[in-house]
Parts: sequence; C-alpha cells; structure tokens
Amino acid sequence: MKYNLELIKNKKKIIGFSTFLIVLSLLGILYSSFNTSYKKPINLGMDFVGGNELRIERFCEEECSNFSPDSVLENLREISSNKNFINNIKLQFQNNNKLISIRTPYLSIEESNNLITNLDNIIGPLNYESKDSRLIGPKLGKRLLTNCITSLLVSLFVISLYITIRFDKKYALFALLALFHDLLIVFGIFSWLGILLSVEVNSLFAVSLLTIAGYSVNDTVVIFDRIRENLKSKEEGYNETIQLSVNESFRRTTFTSITTLIPLLSIILFGSYSLFWFSLALSLGIIVGSYSSILLAPSLLLKD
Amino acid sequence: MKRRQGWLFFIIFLLTFSVYLLINYPLQLGLDLQGGSQLTLQIIKEEGKVTRDELEAVNSVIDKRVNNLGVSESNLQTLGGDQLILELPGEQNPLVASRVLGKTALLEFRTQKEGTSSDLKTLQLQRLSIKELIEQYSTAEKSQNDNFLKVIQDDLKEIGQELNYSFTNDDLYGNLIEIKKYVDKEITNLFIKTDLSGKDLINAGRRQEQTNSNWEVLLTFSNSGGEKFAEITKSIAGTNQLLAIILDGESISEASVGNQFANTGITGGSATISGNFSAENARELEVQLKGGSLPLPIEIVETNTIGALLGSKNILKSLYAAISGLIFVGIFMIFNYRILGFVSVLSLLLYGFFNLALYSLIPVTLTLPGISGLILSIGMAVDANILIFERIKEELYDGNTLTRSIDSGFQRANSSIVDGHITTLLSCFVLFLLGTNFVKGFAATLGIGVLISLFTSLNCSKTILRFFTTYQSFRQKNLYLPRNNFSN
Repeated sequence: MKYNLELIKNKKKIIGFSTFLIVLSLLGILYSSFNTSYKKPINLGMDFVGGNELRIERFCEEECSNFSPDSVLENLREISSNKNFINNIKLQFQNNNKLISIRTPYLSIEESNNLITNLDNIIGPLNYESKDSRLIGPKLGKRLLTNCITSLLVSLFVISLYITIRFDKKYALFALLALFHDLLIVFGIFSWLGILLSVEVNSLFAVSLLTIAGYSVNDTVVIFDRIRENLKSKEEGYNETIQLSVNESFRRTTFTSITTLIPLLSIILFGSYSLFWFSLALSLGIIVGSYSSILLAPSLLLKD
Repeated sequence: MKRRQGWLFFIIFLLTFSVYLLINYPLQLGLDLQGGSQLTLQIIKEEGKVTRDELEAVNSVIDKRVNNLGVSESNLQTLGGDQLILELPGEQNPLVASRVLGKTALLEFRTQKEGTSSDLKTLQLQRLSIKELIEQYSTAEKSQNDNFLKVIQDDLKEIGQELNYSFTNDDLYGNLIEIKKYVDKEITNLFIKTDLSGKDLINAGRRQEQTNSNWEVLLTFSNSGGEKFAEITKSIAGTNQLLAIILDGESISEASVGNQFANTGITGGSATISGNFSAENARELEVQLKGGSLPLPIEIVETNTIGALLGSKNILKSLYAAISGLIFVGIFMIFNYRILGFVSVLSLLLYGFFNLALYSLIPVTLTLPGISGLILSIGMAVDANILIFERIKEELYDGNTLTRSIDSGFQRANSSIVDGHITTLLSCFVLFLLGTNFVKGFAATLGIGVLISLFTSLNCSKTILRFFTTYQSFRQKNLYLPRNNFSN
C-alpha cells in the first residue's frame, strides 16, 4: 500500500489550517486572560494557587440519598466556626451521590479535619479509607508555578540547542516552529477548556507539555532525516523529493503515534481520575504533533 | 550466529534475574498507591538563603520529634534546599504530626521585672476572661445564638477599651484571637530574659497531676542548666517577682518561688510546668522539648492524604490501564506485522520485566505519575520496533533475502531511533532535575523506560527474531508481510 499525500498541491491549505488553529488558540488565551474571573492565560489549578481539595465517598446501603449541594452548604455554615471559607466553597456530588468532592481556599489540617467531621454529621457516614485530600499553601503554589515555567523554558532551550546542532539552520528553524505550534495549540485547547468547562491545569499539565515537546520533535527529526537522505540520492526535483519522503515515512509516523496513543487511551478509560486530564493533554499533543511532523513541517520546507 | 546465541542466553539470564528480584524485593509503592499522608515543610527565613547547616539542623530536630511521636515507618527527606518532606504511611492522622512539627518550641525562662505586680495581675485577669470568651464563642456559634454572640462582642469591646487596643479584624473570632496574642505579648514583655532556655534540657517527660485530671510536663536540666536554674530561682525567691516559662513567646506558666529557696535556689536540676495541660497537649509538648527547638521556624505548606482503599483502587486501575494498553498495542502490532509483531510483543514483555526489576533495584518508588510514565513508555518502546520493521519490509519488497533484510533493517534504523529518543530523554532529565517529587516519579520511569526500550527493541527483538528464523517453518516471507501488501 503506497501513500500519496499531495503535499505540494495542498501547501497553502495546510499552512492556512495551522494558522487558523494558532489564531483560535491565541484567542482562547487572550479571552482567558481578560474576560474570565481568574484573568490568567489558562485556568490555574490548586497546585499553583493553593487551596484545599477533598474527595471522599459515603457509605450507602444501596442507593445514596440525594442531597442538594446548597442544602449541605447551608448546614455546614450553621455548624462551622469559620464562616469565611464557607462562602468560597465549591461542592459537588458525583457517582450517583456516592462521591463528594469539595474545593475550598487554603485550610489548615485542623480546619480541614473539622470540615470532614462536619460533613460526616450532615451526610455521613463517610468512608475515611476512600479519602483523597490535598492541602496546598499559596506560597508553595507560587513556587510550583515558577518551578514549572523554569522547567519548560530550560527544556525548550535544551531541545532547541540540540536541534540547531544536529540540523542545518533551515531545518532547525522549521522543526522548532512545528514544536511551538504543537505546544501553543495544546495550551490553547486547555485555555478553551478552562473557559468553557472550567477545567484547571496543575503541575502534571506542565509535565505533559514537556513530554509533548520531547515527543513531537522526535517525529519531525525522523521525517527530516528521510528528506535529507533522499535529497542526496534521488534525482527528482526538490519539492517532489520532500513529498516522496513524507509519503515514505507516513506509515511509520502514524503507526508510532497510534501505538503511543493506545496506552494513553487506556489510562483515560481505565486509569485513576487524577491522570485523566494529563493523559488527554498528552494524547492531544501527540495527535497535533504527528500532524505537524507529517504535514506542516515538510510543507514549510517546500519551495514556491 | 554464535554471538546471537550468546545474547539469547544473556537475555534469558536477565529475565531470570529480574523475576528473582521482583519476587524477593517487592516494589516500593508511593503513598498514592498504598494510602497515607505526605507533609511538605517549608523552612522560613526572612533574609538570605537557607544554608546547608541550617537545613541539617532543622532536619535533625524534625527527625527527633517524628521518632518521639512514635509514628511507624515514617520517612523524612529534604527537598530543594529549604523543604522537608515527611511521609506517614497508612491511616495515621497527619493532624498530630502537623501540630507537633509546626511549632518552633522555643522554651525560655524569664524573671519578672520589678514593680510590675499590679500590671501583671490585670493582664492575667484579662487573659482569663478572653480565654472564657473564646470558649463561649464556639458554643454560641454552634447554637447560632445571636444574642449570646452580641454579649461576647460587647465584652470583647470592653476588654479592648481597657487595654487601649484598636482591632484590625472584621469578624469576632479574628478579633478574639488577635487580642489574645496582644495580651500574651504584653505579659511576656513584663519579664526579662535569662540565660536559661530549652537548650539546657536533657530530657522531658509528663505525668498526671495528683489533685486533678490535668497533666504536667517535667523538665530535666543538664548540670549547667540545673545550676542556672538554681541561680535564677535564688535571685527571685521570697520576692513578689515571678518566674515565667515561655514557649514560642507565649507565657505558659507564671510561678512564685518561696522564701525557703532564698539561700540555695531550687536545686536538683528539674522543674515541672503545670499549665492545665490535657494528656494530648502534654505529650505534644514533651515531644517538642525532647527534640529541641527549631533553629528556624517552619510552615506546613502542603498536606496530601490518601485513604488506603483509594490507594488499592488506584493500583487496580493502573493495572487495568497497563494491561489493556499492552494487549491493544500487541494486537495492533501482530495485525500489521505478523510474526514481526509477535516478536515485538515478546520484547515488550521482556521490557516490562526489566523495567520493574530495575525499579526494585534502584529503587524507584512507584507512584501514579510514575505508572503513567511506564505505560506511556510502552508506546514509545514499540516505536523503535515499527521503524525497524518498516525498514525490513521495504528490504523484503525490494527482493532481498530474509536474513539480509533483517540485518539491514536493524542496522539502518539504528541511528534515527537513538536520535529520536534523545529529545524525550532531554525532557525527562530537565523534569527530574527541576520537578517536584510528584513529577520526578514520572520523569524517572519514562526516562528509564526509554533507555531500556533501546536495549529491548534493538537487541532483544533482533535476538528473538534470529532465533525464530533458524527454524525453516518461520522463514516464509508471507509470515512477515500482510497478504494484501505482498501481492502488490
């Protein structure tokens, strides 16, 4: 089975499509920065702003009784000594009222324990063995954020350095363009997810961006290698050789992306909830990454 | 061919060794998989960086306190130069640990300034009424008794006026705490520092008071500390100056020294603090005093608690994800590459074993992000195989013999495989250097995975493939190429 992607014919369409995606991402980032309650390019989660997140299951005979979050909050307000945080609390029931998940501003361990005891009184009994509680101080959050941004910048720098050393200038430039294209789009998608579904990003999101960076460059390197090799040996024209090289490595690139996507999909389907958005970000990155490696980066190399 | 057989034995040996390791040295599970609590302690220093010595000193005090608390299998480690991470496995409540660890526990002995007796008495009375108000507040709050709250508010206002204190908080509770701190500070200011402090203790203990159910904390001084204590008590014996025991700036006990000690002071090298301690409070103070005071204050900036049940659920879920990932990748490979795909599945299994064995050897503590790194690296491990197999197929289409195709397939794909993985390794390396504990787990498993995959997909699959092709029945070309492709 031979593939025949008409790269030369579709160059404009490909570049247009990527520009469209980039503009859409930038719009999301801008909208998120100015028009949301958090006023940040992306909805920063608890890891970065601090707070308290609690998930705990209830013991129920058969079906868990129905409580409205508002009535629970009302009850909580009555019996809690610290009124301040109750006003900033977010409370949700999930899994047929079995799982309760709560977000509050930062609490001390003592206050968090009190909150759980109060909850137990209102909607108990609670299964303490199923507890998942995270308390992050605002100071640590800021630190984590700078830490993540430094990690991203450092590794982007190291990868850029590697590519510049390994390839000629032109190749390096386009490989990096493709890389930033991938990262920007994944970032943009999560900006939009934050705006539309109030999805938050935590430190694992930064990790996924870093992993995408490593992986996306990998694919581009393989295709550019093929192009270089073919340009030396084949007699066809420059543009035709690039198109041929892309078609030759098309199968390989899509297959490796598929085999990487399969385990990620199994984490999304079967894995722990704390890895859901992480795996989704990685999957999106790999899809965008293969698109840019196969279609975008080589199209940029084409001469008019 | 001889060399390949050597490799085959080597691989079998490695596999046996891995299985042996896994049986005898089970994997270490992180708290998100076995349940437990993790506290991050931040050392606070106003100016400059925390030095290595200071970090060590804080670490040793915290370590002593943790040991004296009697939590089992706890693990304390330093992170990033100014943080400590304490892990408490199982269902141990982090609350007690946080209370005991978070306090500086600076113990001071101070003597009262002359001529401040009446000031002190007023302040002591005010302290007592504030304490009562705080207790009343929590009852009033719970019963939503607005009238009662109003009374407390008025009482507080009165005390504030007596003290000439202007409140800065909006809510009643905040103001109560605020004025309590103010009064504590005022009381402490009526006393003068002496050279006796927590450093002069060699031991601390606790016992129940005989007259009531309260507890008291016993202090045992070192020799020089005992002498200092005698000296200090002698200087104020029989006067109306009191001796205050001050913990973290708050006076927890003020006592007079009787006239009978005027000649020698209180000798014997010990003292008791009886400040209405509950059994719990007395134990916490005992642990803090035994461990000594912290050279720099710390703050608990992060607490994660995972229930044991949730932990085991997480293990199960990760297992499902890993196995289904493996199975589907396997199906995909066999469907597309026939016998070559089967070879890659075998090397994937080897890959899994080697990975886990290395985790128990290094050791790597397995966490949820760690597992996701491992699962992700499954996909990356077959990457190399796909590159090689595509090359082999190309060679076969060109009409080369099987042996030749296999050899040149492995050879020609080599460089681009190594190259391609370098960027992923670079990312892992940066993550491992700069990341938090949580992130390090992912970087470690992904990095190790990529490295091992270079060995398994380059070497192991070649060896297995060579082994298969020694049998005539495995040498038919259509076992290597899907039928529709072959007819092309």
